[in-house]
Amino acid sequence: MPDAPPAGPDAAMSVRARLFSPARDPLWGAAFAVFTSLAVSFIAIAATGRNPALGFAYLADGAFGGAGPLGETAIKGAVLLLTGLSVSVAFTVGLFNIGAEGQLIWGALAAAVVGRFDLPLVLPCALLAAAAAGALWGLIPALLKVRRGVHEVISTILLNWIAIHLVHGWLVAGPLAAAGSGASVSVAGTEPIRAAAFLPRLLQGSRLDLGFPLALCIAFAVWYLLTRTHRGFEWRATGAGLEAAEASGIPASRRVCEAMALSGALSGLAGALLILGTEHKYPGVFRTGYGFDGIAVALVGGGTAAGTVFAGLFFGAIRAGATRLQLVGIHPSFAELIQGLAVLLVAAPRMFAPLLRRLRGAPGTAAAAPPVPTVQA
Amino acid sequence: MSLNAILDFAPPLVFAALGGVLSERAGVVNIGLEGMMRFGAFAAAAGAIFSGSPWIGLWCGALAGAAAAGAHALLSLRFRADQVVSGVALNLVALGLVTYLLQSVFGSSGVSPPAPSLPRDRFGHTALSYAALIAPLIFAFWLSRTAAGLRVRAVGEHPRAAATLGVRVLRLRAFCVLGSGALAGIGGAALSIGILGQFDARMPAGQGFMALAAVVFGKWTPLGAAGAAFFFAAADALQRQLSFSFHAADLRLDGIFLALPYALTLLVLALSIGKTKAPAADGVPYDPEGR
Repeated sequence: MPDAPPAGPDAAMSVRARLFSPARDPLWGAAFAVFTSLAVSFIAIAATGRNPALGFAYLADGAFGGAGPLGETAIKGAVLLLTGLSVSVAFTVGLFNIGAEGQLIWGALAAAVVGRFDLPLVLPCALLAAAAAGALWGLIPALLKVRRGVHEVISTILLNWIAIHLVHGWLVAGPLAAAGSGASVSVAGTEPIRAAAFLPRLLQGSRLDLGFPLALCIAFAVWYLLTRTHRGFEWRATGAGLEAAEASGIPASRRVCEAMALSGALSGLAGALLILGTEHKYPGVFRTGYGFDGIAVALVGGGTAAGTVFAGLFFGAIRAGATRLQLVGIHPSFAELIQGLAVLLVAAPRMFAPLLRRLRGAPGTAAAAPPVPTVQA
Repeated sequence: MSLNAILDFAPPLVFAALGGVLSERAGVVNIGLEGMMRFGAFAAAAGAIFSGSPWIGLWCGALAGAAAAGAHALLSLRFRADQVVSGVALNLVALGLVTYLLQSVFGSSGVSPPAPSLPRDRFGHTALSYAALIAPLIFAFWLSRTAAGLRVRAVGEHPRAAATLGVRVLRLRAFCVLGSGALAGIGGAALSIGILGQFDARMPAGQGFMALAAVVFGKWTPLGAAGAAFFFAAADALQRQLSFSFHAADLRLDGIFLALPYALTLLVLALSIGKTKAPAADGVPYDPEGR
């Protein structure tokens, strides 16, 4: 091996290639990761002396048992697939956007503010405002990256905390708090939005709203943009190699900023779905975690639009079902545990490689597989 | 902002930052510091509560951090998972698992019962405050002046050259990641049984990431990272002082003050970066077979 090239943000390998190419079979890798994480959490429930079969029955019932639960799965899945797409789009240009949470928070706040105005097209306006707010917050780490070389993982994490404190600790508790909440500790949140800004519900007996089909349409648009347009190609080229892209005439820094703006906009829209679909105001206590979960969704989804949709719906089902786990005395945060385990397992495709080879009974598969690019090559 | 307040708030950041330096100088990116601190903070509180001794709690915190780091080492070194992903996944697991444990062990999703805290001297400091002053010096000496420290730097800069000279790269990296986890675990313990006297479900509230920023700001050196950690601790102390003297809670302005240390960290990073350089092989998986 000759001298190792400098590692770090501009290593010769793209983030995408590093993350996903070792998974020779992303679909099977993800399926195994999901299955194993479910099995491990099954054992974890049993280990604390609770009934795992009953727990999983409640989980399934809470996710799929009728119109109501299916609606919950759909609305949670819609938010998760948007934040997952947000992280995936950033992967495309080679950035690891951990800031979906902060972008979601600003998007949610923008939707809650605009949704109160008496505008003719208040619903589309609120959605646009949310996308714009998220895009602006996503643009900051992109500019810091291309101008100042600040690693996006660190800057997006710091921006998350800045957003959380500014919005939850100041704006929603102070200047934007609903009138009449008095001097007591405010958990009231902002004034409710106008009914015209609500996302219309689609089914009786379920909270399923227009946000779900909207999210699916957006996912299709993102897929089209990334894989079928000139701009999408330039984004992918930038992600595959910043310097090579620049050498072939692509303004790579610009493309990074554009993609991060879209990434932020997608997270902002996810926040808007929460506000316009179910909350109908910016609540005083708003601990979503959807932005952080978007990382898990994107990784398990293999960084592609279709994979992200499926992963988002799966984790949406887990989240919807996890609320029922309280019936057997398990905290809903158990969903986070399942997710984290799935990501841990998906991160290590090599763990499954021997097993997959044996399952297929083809010892030659390894040789036929594309070579795994490593930075040292 | 008094010196006392800085000494109080510094240990979590200093120890986690030293952990970050240890791991990254050996060539393993450690985004999982946050999760390791979380495990450490919980285990320290739980250990102190069940044993009645804060010192046993401290050991539990270090061990729990190291155990979490073991998962990171296994995934990123043995299975060559992407180190950033592995760390992020560890943080997600820590978030879910610790909340789950808090609920099943103490029956609360908010805070643990009060834990026996580390004893304070007549100035009101725990031993960890003084350790945070001394540990960076010892660590700096070890890293730059001893054979073991040279080997650590070698596997972080040019692992293959180190391997040629007989250094067992993966084993040494694994040790460094485990040590990094133990240091982060002590940092977490400093939060739960040092500062607050109980575990809070929100711990460590981004301190692991601030420590990571301190590593970058400190140019991957023990003294630099510790200095940055003290700087951030000072920013935190200043924030609390300002917030208190402006009656921020009454005016509903505390969010602005709470956001201040993070904004300051970001500003410092934006202004300081440029010439800083990570260890050459930081984040690069090492394959003994040279593929």
